[in-house]
Amino acid sequence: MRRLGYRIAAVAVVTVTAAGVAAVRATASTEPAAVGRMVAGTASLAPASSPADLAVQFEALLGQHSVLAANMMRSRFRGDDDFVQAANASLGKNTNDMTALVGQLFGDATAQKFRPLWSEHVVTLFAYAGALADHDDAARSEALEELTEYEGELAAFFSGASQGRLPLATARSLVVMHIEHLTGQADAYAAGNYAKADALSRAGFQHTYDLGLGLAKALLPPSDTKVLDEPVWRLRSQLGKLLAEHAVLIEDATRAAVTRTPDFTASGQSLNANTSDIAAAIDTLFGAPAARQFQTLWAAHVEALVSYAAATASEDSARQQAARDKLNGFEQTMGKFLSGATNGRATPAVMAAALSEHDRMLLEHADAYAGKQYAKAHDIAYQTYDHMFHLARTLADAFGRAVAERLPKGGAQTGFGGMAGIVEQN
Amino acid sequence: MHRFAALLVVALALVAGCGPEKNTPAPPSSAAGANPADSFESSTTYETVARPVRIRIPALEVDSKIIDLGLRKDGSVEVPPSVAEAGWWDGGPRPGQDGPAVILGHVDSSDGPGIFINLHKVRAGTVVEVDRADGSTATFKVTKVSRVAKTRFPTDLVYAPSLDPTLRLVTCGGSFDQARGSYRDNVIAYAAAA
Repeated sequence: MRRLGYRIAAVAVVTVTAAGVAAVRATASTEPAAVGRMVAGTASLAPASSPADLAVQFEALLGQHSVLAANMMRSRFRGDDDFVQAANASLGKNTNDMTALVGQLFGDATAQKFRPLWSEHVVTLFAYAGALADHDDAARSEALEELTEYEGELAAFFSGASQGRLPLATARSLVVMHIEHLTGQADAYAAGNYAKADALSRAGFQHTYDLGLGLAKALLPPSDTKVLDEPVWRLRSQLGKLLAEHAVLIEDATRAAVTRTPDFTASGQSLNANTSDIAAAIDTLFGAPAARQFQTLWAAHVEALVSYAAATASEDSARQQAARDKLNGFEQTMGKFLSGATNGRATPAVMAAALSEHDRMLLEHADAYAGKQYAKAHDIAYQTYDHMFHLARTLADAFGRAVAERLPKGGAQTGFGGMAGIVEQN
Repeated sequence: MHRFAALLVVALALVAGCGPEKNTPAPPSSAAGANPADSFESSTTYETVARPVRIRIPALEVDSKIIDLGLRKDGSVEVPPSVAEAGWWDGGPRPGQDGPAVILGHVDSSDGPGIFINLHKVRAGTVVEVDRADGSTATFKVTKVSRVAKTRFPTDLVYAPSLDPTLRLVTCGGSFDQARGSYRDNVIAYAAAA
């Protein structure tokens, strides 16, 4: 009966997904989230409905799916109070958004085929986590068998929609890896190996994020996706992935901090790995001195957010306020740093406001989760991810333009003509 | 598809009042003990990449030390003073670091070949190795080669930042403009981390 209850709850996610698709599709192209609009309004952006734009959105949603699915599986294993809300508020919405985007990218007929396939694999991942929780090896084997079946079906779907650009074997290996990351992290989590669980979860996020772009490039006509290989689009995609991951890892660490769970240590390590990756990206763009300055500021930001969550767990209002004060300082200082890095393309005030919004949402997320307002917490987490996606786009464009100003001009004078007779023959 | 339909039927049972139940596995909570989050410290370091010191392209019998290059006053990239040496544009990423690293070399001198005389011969898959100051080596494989007029040099594709660890090799090619004393084209080899 217990397992039946959970299974029904998971199916409810699917039905919510089904009911919401039409509404989401109707608004997705014209109604960006409020937080996204706030950031998007601060810099000139390309039209958000170009195939390349939709492809970048698609990879972000796929990356988010990976995180939400991992969260759902862990929540199901732990038997959290909030697991139903987690699934309904986030995973179902993500599936809705993805289906809507599939419709925009590849047409309604493709979206209609995509949704049930995708939803079923989510349900089976849920069943797999339930089997782990119940130590039911037979149910786990059954779930694995079903997942293997879905791997084939999803791979056939993607390969078929690609008009030969994505071989079936390649599609299958990509889907299999996605499933293995999720079941692997669930296995590790169930075994109490949180470091392995988080490492697999992080790898899964990155794989799935990149998979989204790969699928878009395979399924869309090459003429629509050629621009995605250009540096500006690569930077948008890559910075989007790094900053989106920051948001989900902060939220993951926050949940562990407010509930005092021992998996916090692994969450913190993942968070630190992401912080180092972002600093390395700043090094690529602006050099080592700027990267070190950035990381010092960013580290203070991350520590303040974690400190706030820990203070919330211990109901230490003075420490909470201290964390808020530190965040206020960070927002101003980082706003100036980013404005300087972008040669004023992003003003300190606009950057500080965007960072303030980011922090506000993360603090509210911590408050909501600690207060067991799970639906609200997951809704905020979803918005935070969306906000970070748009902020990353704004930053990528501003960074790219700032770096372009100091690039060499014209070609290189690397010849004197002594071998012109031969060189000209080549 | 039939499975999905079946699941929808099951979902109706939820509407009829069957709610989920709490699972038995105890959450991994340490509510009574110390909160591991209290001792969290954020990372303040990241993995850095050492400067390039030598380039080897076995297929072209290239084996040269690498010098640093900056910008000229007119904004164009500096080139190595010796045609036997390669140079790395030090305003961009280091080879193996995320982003496009750019190494330049001469195709010839006024009376003989330069280090990149045969760069046009590389093909997709040609291996390029770059040794770095810390003793490490970054290995790349060429993905494509192109020849473009210097007047239409693809600055964006060669230098503009992304976070892909790539390498670009640049030299001269095409016809020689005697009046200007320079080749009209550049040959560019694009390589990705192997």
